[in-house]
Amino acid sequence: MNERRQGVLTLAAVLVWLLAGLLSGTRLGAADDAREIVQEAERRTDAKSQRYEGVLQVADGKGKIADKRWTLERLGSHGESKMVLRFTAPAEVKGVALLVVNHPDRASDQWMWTPAIERDRRIALQDRSTRFFGTDFSFEDLEERDVNQYNYALLGEEAVEQAACWKIQSIPKQAKSSQYTRSVVWIRKDNYAFARIENYVKDQVVRRLTYGDIRQVQGIWTAARLDMQDLRRGSRTRLTLDKLQYNASMKEEDFTLQAIRRQ
Amino acid sequence: MPSPTTMIELDRVTKRFAGKRQVTALDGVSLSVPQGELVSVIGPSGSGKSTLLNLVGGLDRPTEGEVRVGGETLAQLSDDELTRVRRDKIGFIFQFFNLLPTLSCLENVGLPLHLRGWPRAKVQDRATELLHLVKLENRTHHLPDELSGGERQRVAIARALSIYPPVLLADEPTGNLDTHTGADILTLIRDLHTRLGSTVLIVTHDMKVAESCDRTIALRDGSVVEDVRR
Amino acid sequence: MILLRLISWPYFRKHILRTLLTIAGIVLGVAVFVGMHTANQSVLAAFNHTIDRIAGKTELEVTSGETGFSEDVLEAVQSAPAVRVAVPIIETVVDSRIVGEGSLLILGVDMTGDRSLRDYDLESGDEAVVDDPLVFLAQPDSLILTKEFADKNRFAVGSQITLGTVLGDRRFTVRGIMKSSGLSSAFGGNLAIMDIYASQKMFGRGRTFDRIDLAVKEGHTIADTQAGLRQLLGPGYQVDPPAARGQQFEAMTAAYSMMVSISSLFALFIGMFIIYNSFAIAVTQRRAEIGILRALGATRRQIRWLFLGESAVTGLIGSLAGALVGLLIARGVAASIGNLVADVYGVAQRTDAVAASPALVLLALLIGVSTSIVAAVIPARQAARVDPVQALQKGKYQVLSEGEGRVRLVLAAILGSVSLICLVAGGSRIVFYVGYVLVIVVALLLSPLVSLLLAHALRPLLSWIRPVEGALAADSLIQSPRRTSASVAAVMLSLALVVAFAGMARASYNSIIDWMDTTLNPDLFVMPAQDIVVRNLRFPPEMAPELAALPGVSRVQMVRDARIVFRGAPVMIVATEMTSLAETIHRRPVEGDSTEMYRLAAAGRGVMVSDNLAELHGLRLNDVLEIPAPHGVIRLPIVAIVVDYSDQLGTILMDRSVFVRYWHDDSVNVFRLYLAPGAGVPEVKRRILERYAGARQVFVLTNRELKTYILRITDQWFSLASVQIAVAVLVAILGIVNTLTVSITDRRRELGVLRAVGGLHGQIRRTIWMEALSIGVLGLVLGYALGAVNLYYILQIVHHDIAGLRLDYEFPLTVTAALVPTMLAAAFIAAIWPAESAVRGSLVEALEYE
Repeated sequence: MNERRQGVLTLAAVLVWLLAGLLSGTRLGAADDAREIVQEAERRTDAKSQRYEGVLQVADGKGKIADKRWTLERLGSHGESKMVLRFTAPAEVKGVALLVVNHPDRASDQWMWTPAIERDRRIALQDRSTRFFGTDFSFEDLEERDVNQYNYALLGEEAVEQAACWKIQSIPKQAKSSQYTRSVVWIRKDNYAFARIENYVKDQVVRRLTYGDIRQVQGIWTAARLDMQDLRRGSRTRLTLDKLQYNASMKEEDFTLQAIRRQ
Repeated sequence: MPSPTTMIELDRVTKRFAGKRQVTALDGVSLSVPQGELVSVIGPSGSGKSTLLNLVGGLDRPTEGEVRVGGETLAQLSDDELTRVRRDKIGFIFQFFNLLPTLSCLENVGLPLHLRGWPRAKVQDRATELLHLVKLENRTHHLPDELSGGERQRVAIARALSIYPPVLLADEPTGNLDTHTGADILTLIRDLHTRLGSTVLIVTHDMKVAESCDRTIALRDGSVVEDVRR
Repeated sequence: MILLRLISWPYFRKHILRTLLTIAGIVLGVAVFVGMHTANQSVLAAFNHTIDRIAGKTELEVTSGETGFSEDVLEAVQSAPAVRVAVPIIETVVDSRIVGEGSLLILGVDMTGDRSLRDYDLESGDEAVVDDPLVFLAQPDSLILTKEFADKNRFAVGSQITLGTVLGDRRFTVRGIMKSSGLSSAFGGNLAIMDIYASQKMFGRGRTFDRIDLAVKEGHTIADTQAGLRQLLGPGYQVDPPAARGQQFEAMTAAYSMMVSISSLFALFIGMFIIYNSFAIAVTQRRAEIGILRALGATRRQIRWLFLGESAVTGLIGSLAGALVGLLIARGVAASIGNLVADVYGVAQRTDAVAASPALVLLALLIGVSTSIVAAVIPARQAARVDPVQALQKGKYQVLSEGEGRVRLVLAAILGSVSLICLVAGGSRIVFYVGYVLVIVVALLLSPLVSLLLAHALRPLLSWIRPVEGALAADSLIQSPRRTSASVAAVMLSLALVVAFAGMARASYNSIIDWMDTTLNPDLFVMPAQDIVVRNLRFPPEMAPELAALPGVSRVQMVRDARIVFRGAPVMIVATEMTSLAETIHRRPVEGDSTEMYRLAAAGRGVMVSDNLAELHGLRLNDVLEIPAPHGVIRLPIVAIVVDYSDQLGTILMDRSVFVRYWHDDSVNVFRLYLAPGAGVPEVKRRILERYAGARQVFVLTNRELKTYILRITDQWFSLASVQIAVAVLVAILGIVNTLTVSITDRRRELGVLRAVGGLHGQIRRTIWMEALSIGVLGLVLGYALGAVNLYYILQIVHHDIAGLRLDYEFPLTVTAALVPTMLAAAFIAAIWPAESAVRGSLVEALEYE
């Protein structure tokens, strides 16, 4: 199971806690310690729960994939959170739900519910590197991971869209645990929000995630626009977040397999 | 010449055999044989005498000209009609007897009668009678292989006579027999001719045989070179 | 070589027809051999190709017979340390409802991860198989078609296609198209991909998978992984490379292949007789020529080689032509074998290409040429023995010398006793087969003597019918025993084959009907598919009370049948409600007690096995069977051996409770319904169909319909064999034609005399016909005699080596009676041409002495 443990810096960031990329409060004393920067970024996005409505747009030049809307609810703290993602449009996929249960000590469990077939399916560990329903994200990118599973190194400082950032490299401690060999992440110095992530397979960048429209929501710095580029396929998926809300009241029992079967 | 009825008549009959080299076996032969005449046909080999006999017997058809037997023009007849003429009017005697080796003498003699569809008992009676006639009554159930040459030819004659044919055709009937037996056979044929009154055509190259006939026709290279009545 | 060109070629040219007939014998034999085997191989190859294509990068497959297994097994397999990736599969064959397309193989795969094993080759060249994967997964009607199938039937993305499913006809939407390569060439391109969970739902599979395909992690060997998984999963599961399924398929169709082999070899064997016949005739006809050659200094050896050379050339030409014809007919044959395999074994496959194997063609050429040479050995030896002086004298025809007759008799007596000893002594199968071969040899040795004897006996009869024609026809047979007996032998062999197969068929039908009458006595059968052998469509058990509640239904019995692997061989499990069964059917076991067996089986304390299973696996009453199942190994004693035709490879009958316990599968293949007294079959049938209209695909067969269906499958099983038999008969008829053409040459003078002294055409024809009919009669008599013996051996082979079925010996009187006019008509037809040529031709030449 350990081989599946993932680092903090993959798309888990995108969909969950990095959405709430937050930078407020004071700079840390040991700000140049890469690991501490990451931990601080995590701390600043901490919330009891999160909810938003997303729009997913795939731009692969063919326009065959319709835009999709979903609502996302997440409960719990980093590494132990649960998340339910439910599609609302278009009509063909309405009601399809995804349940992700993260574990601090092992890879997450993921299930998908398709109402028309009236059943759920497990997303097997072996399949997490495949594309998330034709988008440029992969299933692996949905997971939250423990910071301790990675080694960090501060590579330097570099501006992303005129904002000063730390440039940090993360390498999984167990090489085979991720589809990526390493990742490079840019974290803004002013608000500890993520600005960009580049994922490498061997020496090549395969996916690049760019954060945009970063604003404060209930005191948490959150990117409202995420662009994932698949550099091998030359396509791009944009996720736009709307109606962001933190710390809303949610019930634990809504994050179970039984619950997602109820529409 | 006063003759009661013409039995056999050839009118400018020509027979050619196709092949790498065309051979004219008969070349415009015309002749007529009245009923009851005993005629011999002579000539060297290749002169066309066997061809003449085959044409008269309806075993073969002329290239040109007409052959009439008993008033019927053979050329106009179908194969089966020709066969009917043969079995009703013509008896054959072959040089090599042409008996069927697996049939007994009685069966061989009865053959044409069976073919005409005679009832079994009647065939039996007639065949026995004929074997008496050719003096082979003690050989009734023998197979041809068990007989001497002369005996075989006598069976063949009995077979030819089984239907009391108006026309009897004999192709070298003595050719395959020793002189003595040959003479016996000839006597038999002549005797039967007298008794049954058939028209007989004998092909032979034995001058003695020829001279003993009413009339001798000599052929050479497909043409009649001599026609003598005695 | 020079001899061949100078001597043989002119002879062949002069006797073109006879030469062609001789070659035709070999052509037919080789054509059947090549055609049947190529078709067989093609079916197998197509099956393997489909497996191969579908398998993709699969290194091992996990199966549990055909029963499938619960979904949890997948996680267990995925978590095995050596497994890199493991994906579940469901395969379903559905009716495409498109005229001319037949069935469509639907592969249910997990679209989220399956791509790591299979290459779906996208139409767009893109990574995505379908435009929108989420839509594909969300909608159960999603289907991916191959480009070939889509183009042929004008489907595009978004098109609708109607398919027959367990829930009735359903519309599907084409949501993706595969490129024509790789996977898409499986099943002849008639392939569709669905989401596995959607196909579970659409095809009523419940939460089971048919199979798990997996690839091994780097650093682990396939063998170790296989062993590890076997250990992990237990004996109820098979873990094998994909190719192993091809072997199972082969094992399943082995009985069929064996039948194909036996009858195609018979066809060749009969062809050999025609060659023998031709050469024997040629040798006698060419005596003078041989004499001259010998006088000119040719050695015996040279003469022998001349004839052997001729036969080799004949054989080669015939074999080449035969191989060509065989390859041409293979396609059609493959299609019907494919249907047969689908109907009899329930294994759907599509053969779209004929796999011409060079090895097979080479083998056929080899067999054809060597058959031809072997056939010529005796004639060649006789030719070599020709005495130059005697030969130059006017030859007498070949008559069977008394010496030869005596040798044949003595040899036949010796071999006959040896074969009797083989039969009585029993022991090994080899001894049995030696005995079988010897019987045929004895028959062949005796056939000239017996046909001579019979011809003598026939003569008075024939000459009574027609004093001249009849007597001469009989004499012709008597005079040339060699000419006659070879074709009589050919007819005899082919009839012996017919009799044996007809007898086997008759016996099979009898026992199948007997079995059906005993065990298939319900009034109605409710099934989820039209074909009984489609076992992967099933009903839920909840339907039982629903059916029982319908007015007019008095009793419902649930039947589950499934093919599993037992002792390495595919066998059928039939799980029924034994208690109920005991009250409705009264089976008389071959071994065991008829009441105890139901009691014990119902209590789950024993199983019954079919007698063919017992025979094939050497099982005895009270033996304890170990039947592997997904949830443990069943260890139960055999409480009875019964006659059962559910499956050709053997059946294990057990109580339903045992099956449910060990397979965790309570689905139902067939409901057996007994009606209440007074209830009308058509009304109840209508009620059932109305009850499930629109909700479920239900087929209701009446008792008579089911029996007809089973008999139809049985017919199909025998139908291909009948084609081969027809060929064998055809070859034998060719032999008659051959003999007659020679006969009219031999009898030319005789026929000429007949015509000269007043034989009409009709009379001449009649004697030829009578000769042909006499050959037919002789062949019939000898064929029936040998057939009676052959049937015994074939039944023994069926019992011990093919299907394990104990069939009663019963001479097939109806068939043999029907054969009399057939064979005589055939003989008559064979005589038409020779008879015509006998009445044609110059009389003068016929009467001449050369």
